[in-house]
Amino acid sequence: VDHRFQINLRGVIDLLSHHLYSSPGVYVRELLQNATDAIRARQLLEPGHTGSVRLELIEKQDGGPPTLLFTDDGIGLTEEEIHRFLATIGESSKREVLAERRNDFIGQFGIGLLSCFMVCDELLVVTRSVKGEGRTMEWRGRHDGTYSVRPSEHPLESPGTQVFLVARQDAAEYFTAERVQQLARHYGGLLPFPISLTASGITERINAEQAPWRRPYESASERREALLAYGHEVFGQDFIDCIPLKSTAGDVEGVAFVLPFSPHYNAKQKHRVYLKSMLLSESAENLLPDWAFFVKCVVNANELRPTASRESFYENETLAKARASLGQALRRYLTELAREEPRALQRLISLHGLSVKALALDDDDFYRLVIGWLPFETTLGVMTLVDYRRSYPTVRYVSSLDDFRQVARVAAAQGLCVVNAAYTYDTDLIEKLPRIFQDAQVESFSASELPQSFEELTLEEREAVFPLIKAAEQALQPFRCDVAVKKFRPKEVPTLYSSDAEGAFRRDAERAREESDELYASMMDSVLSGARSSDRPVLTFNYLNPVVTRLAGVPDRSLLKLSVEMLYVQALLLGHRPLSAQEMALLNKGLLGLIAARLDGGNEDSGRGGMH
Amino acid sequence: LTAQDWREQVEALCERAARLRHGEAKVMALEEAVRLADTHGDLDLAFRLRDDLIDAATFGGFPDKALVAFAWCRGQVKRDPERFESDLLLWKQKWVVGRLDDFPHITRKQILEALDDIEQAYARVDAGRRAILKLRYQTARDMGEEAAAETYWAQWVAAPRDYLTDCRACDLDDEIDHHIDRGEYARALEKARPILDGRSACAEIPHLTYGSVLYPLLKLGRLEQARDCHLRGYPMISRNRDFLATVGEHIEFLALTDNLSRGLALFEKHLGWALDHASWRDRFTFHAASGLLLSRLLAEGREAVSLRLPKAFPLHQGQGPYETRALHGWVEGQAKEIAARFDARNGTQHFQRLLARTQRLEQEVRPFPIDTEAS
Repeated sequence: VDHRFQINLRGVIDLLSHHLYSSPGVYVRELLQNATDAIRARQLLEPGHTGSVRLELIEKQDGGPPTLLFTDDGIGLTEEEIHRFLATIGESSKREVLAERRNDFIGQFGIGLLSCFMVCDELLVVTRSVKGEGRTMEWRGRHDGTYSVRPSEHPLESPGTQVFLVARQDAAEYFTAERVQQLARHYGGLLPFPISLTASGITERINAEQAPWRRPYESASERREALLAYGHEVFGQDFIDCIPLKSTAGDVEGVAFVLPFSPHYNAKQKHRVYLKSMLLSESAENLLPDWAFFVKCVVNANELRPTASRESFYENETLAKARASLGQALRRYLTELAREEPRALQRLISLHGLSVKALALDDDDFYRLVIGWLPFETTLGVMTLVDYRRSYPTVRYVSSLDDFRQVARVAAAQGLCVVNAAYTYDTDLIEKLPRIFQDAQVESFSASELPQSFEELTLEEREAVFPLIKAAEQALQPFRCDVAVKKFRPKEVPTLYSSDAEGAFRRDAERAREESDELYASMMDSVLSGARSSDRPVLTFNYLNPVVTRLAGVPDRSLLKLSVEMLYVQALLLGHRPLSAQEMALLNKGLLGLIAARLDGGNEDSGRGGMH
Repeated sequence: LTAQDWREQVEALCERAARLRHGEAKVMALEEAVRLADTHGDLDLAFRLRDDLIDAATFGGFPDKALVAFAWCRGQVKRDPERFESDLLLWKQKWVVGRLDDFPHITRKQILEALDDIEQAYARVDAGRRAILKLRYQTARDMGEEAAAETYWAQWVAAPRDYLTDCRACDLDDEIDHHIDRGEYARALEKARPILDGRSACAEIPHLTYGSVLYPLLKLGRLEQARDCHLRGYPMISRNRDFLATVGEHIEFLALTDNLSRGLALFEKHLGWALDHASWRDRFTFHAASGLLLSRLLAEGREAVSLRLPKAFPLHQGQGPYETRALHGWVEGQAKEIAARFDARNGTQHFQRLLARTQRLEQEVRPFPIDTEAS
């Protein structure tokens, strides 16, 4: 009898192809899923049954599109079951129902078959169930929604299901031997029973006997090579190492590949995951702890629950436990590297320092182990915190690049070792030090504290330099800058401008105010008034510098002022401080002023107070 | 420094910034590069670098730095429109103007002028009004001007999309907030489905959405799904201070479901951000939620809690546990102070009402353990 679905089949197919399926090629996945389910169902009844899937491409004599015959020796369907799956199709016009139906065998069978209509107009299913009296049934369905169910005139010799797909003209590309083989291998490459493809009279098995990580190998190095080759095959990349993964929770197994480059900050590592040996997703993200962004992995999970979109796993306790176990496996790998192959660890740190640091922050034991290998930039060169503590009792660090640049100019000459902790995680790592090592001391340092570490003047020197202090204070008042005189090295540096991070931001806002229009300039005023009150910047004169000492003796007030202003501008520029308009004017005016003073001075000895 | 040196330095800083995820380190690298370009007077480079800095600061949790960089760039475009590309800046102006109300020291007048200004700028390039209507709606919502918010909301959702409107995922997320405000939780969750199913996403979605649906899910008794959203959403936001307010939403969820230890772990980890965050609105959300959490601890008789809090915290101590009551008093004091500042600026009672809401939540606790005692 011919029947017609009570729904618009085209509509359902459209829905499927737009919402459920990324490409028509997934029809192979759906057929494999159906075959796998059928074989597993039969295995429950007949525990010894291995199962197999056969694909055969039958070319038409007239050169028309070929037919794909897809055969499994699974449980097969009874007539009653055929009617049940047809009913499912009738109900499946709602996406929610669809998602639900996929979780039961018969429902999935129907939905899986529907996907075939993305590539063909007519389907023939011939099936014989293990159950019942062994009758072979056939179902012939067409894309226009008509179908027929009847006993087959060509009974099957043994239970199982055959699906015949006649390629539609415009979908012929999905029916070439290469494409079918590639698709079947892609989705079913890990399935634990043989899958074979017959095309042009040649039959070959297209999946390996076992997942690469389950195969026996002669040696560790052979295993490593094979897995790296597998990684290359899957991701098209040469990885630098591979790490076996295993978790009892969720029954997860697989391998993680260490990326050969530092990942871009927003590149999420997309993992390839199989669910019960069938490809689930090539872009699962929530499988590893979030510090583990240095690897990409392939895993098979037997007991994790996929989300409705089947792109990743449902966040439940099992997944949390599985993630923790997989994280442990990665941690174990890093720990072993630290213990046994420190050179390899150093190479890894140079590529994936951020991952290693993130883990060290989360994990105290790992911190203890790895902190001796993490390089930090300091004013005296790159060193580890362990090296640092050998020479200095207290680890001093700055948390901003601006601070570091200011400090770096004189710290080395002063013998002051300060860590640049402006890189991601570095400040946190340093602050963690005393929590891990009881005797460790750490101290955050700001460039504005730098002058405090300089040598003070004697009373006589103070008296001698006092006029300079007075004059400088007055000259720099309009710039909200304080003045100090100290002794520091290197003595070639006449002055040092220091401010904290807030001070640098203030200067940025002031410059923006000068550049912007009235509306936004007024907002810069608000920003400045709302900014945290910070210490004023300080211009520290270096008493060890000959120009500075000579300047203190200059009687000409205006020349003194001019010189102070120029030293101020010079200090800003040497400290990479962009000048404000007011300071730029100072520079222009000052240069001319100094030239004029020099010219006016003639033969008098006023050059004493000038600049070189 | 020679000319070559500083350009190489800028390049190295940019390369470093490109590798870093959004956050302070990335912002600092670009700020440093900008200062180098400024020092050497390379205006074009300074403009390009600030353009990047606006992104990094906006998405890395430094809206004040984005504003300053934007103000500078805007000045250049106004002065020399031929030389400086303004299309991208027009897009970014939305981010900047949208955050103005986060700063209590920016006056209401300045905010309204900035809205008028961006409206004119968009009109000049013949863009539709959708983006502007959304900005006006959100500003009114943030400032507690309820009638205006309603009006703009209706206009916004009806306005057609154009090239300057936000992406669909962002728009959808903002629509969800509106329904949550009105207590239309089922409606909000219905709208959130494409996002929660992973069919609609962008740089900050679903990160934000996972946080905002927590309370609606609780109200509707969909606890398992709420837990899933917490477990999935928190890792997405835990390393970026731009999500401070969303952290607050997760803390509120943990307090409401009686997962106090987890909540405390979040408080400990993120208090540092709240101490110097440029967005006072985000600080408020964090402190208010933390107040609820600490008050729950007090209700359970936890007089003291062991925490490692940052040195910059005024009650910081190196040794021994913190008094819960003192912590509670401090965060609540912060929330109240910020609320008062905002309400004074806005001329509404919006933040007082938000405080009252948090108070009411004490009665809505519904234990739902995330960590089971097993094994």
